[in-house]
Amino acid sequence: MPAVISFLRSYLLTFGLFAMAMKMKIHPDLSVNFAGIKLKNPVLTASGTFGYGEEFADIIDLNKLGGIIVKGISLKPIKGNPPPRIWETPSGMLNAIGLENPGVDVFLRDKLPFLRNYDTAVLVNIFGYSLEEYVGVAERLDGVPGVAGLEVNISCPNVKAGGIVFGTDLKAAFDLLSAVRKATRMPVIAKLSPNVTDITAFAKVARDAGCDGLSLINTLLGMAIDIRSRTPRLANRTGGLSGPAIRPVAVRMVWQAAQAVDLPIIGMGGIMTHEDALEFILAGASAVAVGTANFVNPRATLDIIAGMETFLTQEGIGSVKELVGQVSVA
Amino acid sequence: MPSNKLHQAKVLLHRPAGRGYYRLVLLAPGLAAAAAPGHFVMLRVSANLDPLLARPFGISSVLSKRSIELYYRVAGRGTTLLTTVDPGQTLDLLGPLGNGFPVPDKAATPLLVAGGSGFPPLLYFAARYGKQARLFVGSRDKECLPPAAVMKDLRSRTKAVHYATEDGSRGTCGFVTDSLAAYLVSPMGGEKPVIYACGPHAMLASVSRLAEDHSIPCYVSMEERMACGLGVCMGCSVSMKAGGYKRVCKEGPVFDSREIAWGRVPLRGGR
Repeated sequence: MPAVISFLRSYLLTFGLFAMAMKMKIHPDLSVNFAGIKLKNPVLTASGTFGYGEEFADIIDLNKLGGIIVKGISLKPIKGNPPPRIWETPSGMLNAIGLENPGVDVFLRDKLPFLRNYDTAVLVNIFGYSLEEYVGVAERLDGVPGVAGLEVNISCPNVKAGGIVFGTDLKAAFDLLSAVRKATRMPVIAKLSPNVTDITAFAKVARDAGCDGLSLINTLLGMAIDIRSRTPRLANRTGGLSGPAIRPVAVRMVWQAAQAVDLPIIGMGGIMTHEDALEFILAGASAVAVGTANFVNPRATLDIIAGMETFLTQEGIGSVKELVGQVSVA
Repeated sequence: MPSNKLHQAKVLLHRPAGRGYYRLVLLAPGLAAAAAPGHFVMLRVSANLDPLLARPFGISSVLSKRSIELYYRVAGRGTTLLTTVDPGQTLDLLGPLGNGFPVPDKAATPLLVAGGSGFPPLLYFAARYGKQARLFVGSRDKECLPPAAVMKDLRSRTKAVHYATEDGSRGTCGFVTDSLAAYLVSPMGGEKPVIYACGPHAMLASVSRLAEDHSIPCYVSMEERMACGLGVCMGCSVSMKAGGYKRVCKEGPVFDSREIAWGRVPLRGGR
């Protein structure tokens, strides 16, 4: 008799766990609300690695993405830097594209209508060579249907006059982000430069300027030299380092920023797999952006979303939100 | 038609082809069916993160409409790692990518100009439109020419092969552009030449100049470092005479040579 009871107990226990797992499988919740922007999952594409979506539409279903952060847009078209523009490095690459883009008018006329066909959040990365230009783009995009928010690039290392000048000076960053904040009703996300000593100081400046969220990190300033010709590998001499080589730096900075401010964070820097993405989420990111991986594996974003869902199911975690900032540092 | 399709390509054949080259045959039916001369593919040489990026390779042939053939020379870490790939393995393959060579007019005589390791797209071209074509091939010495089997194939598919080696060990002593120039001074009776060239930038710039001097149409297949092959990284841009840049992967790799601002094209390596 006790044997039968024991059998029944273990049977029910196993069945119960199985049923629970099945329930989880149906229900793992990947959705997040990022600074008021509804994302069906926390996986976005990083600016400058996904164009304006068109090139990837043949390969992956854009509807499955949490969001698309489009290539940086300025008030006027930008031709970009002379070649060579890229150089591969160990587990990474240097680039100095120079923010080549068709300008905000062409974006609105030719690029955005395509993206409106998809059920995914579109964030527009904006930049300028002066405060006025940033404000100008922000104003042009304010209230435009199909745009969920603005990511303000104050951190491009490859343009002389703009970008990083604002991203490495606290006062300039505050003035710029405050001005952009006043120019739009949309969520404003500040994309921070890792090329600073104390990332938390810039996170606080973004908060004080009224930003709704943070994106980090942009590329790390780097250089490679051809030892035979004794010349830099890039025509721009220096460039931005991206790819898995920079991931530990990025995770550390996301963690530090998350400790310092209450703003939600889009974490990025060398994410190749769902494990990488979950590291950022545990460090404090509410969402992640996949960048260089899109070049290496055009399906990377979808693989990451699927992997994340499987992980949550296996671990019995109901929602990805439960993991945000849950790294234990006791 | 070019397409951004991602394929899991099975390695059917992979062996040294001589003169430092390897021949790689990949099973990719969808890709093979869509390919045309001048198209290229992005191939990941391993699943590891280092080297990180896929490599661009010009398609040298489509075999029985199901597989593609690539030739590569071991030139760096990526191609060195590629040599260790065994038949039966699968590799990530993207393509066919880019815009191929324009189809030659029936009355035209295509002049195929191959320098360095630039022969693969021209081998494909010769298989399709080679009957009336002349091949101009050049290298440092005869040991640096394309593999013997490739040369045999090219000889059988074209009307004539004009050799040039810098040490004079085969054909004209000098650059491939020297033998091309010699031909252009007095083309064979009634031939209407159109140039199709692939090779180092310095060679392409010289070929382009010759074409302009003789008012001959000239199409060049450009090689540039690229990260994605899809048109999004903007890494493979070349300077245009009209100003600005065009992407080798998207608007190219084949360009009308008159479009390119050769003075602003970085010259890598010799001819």
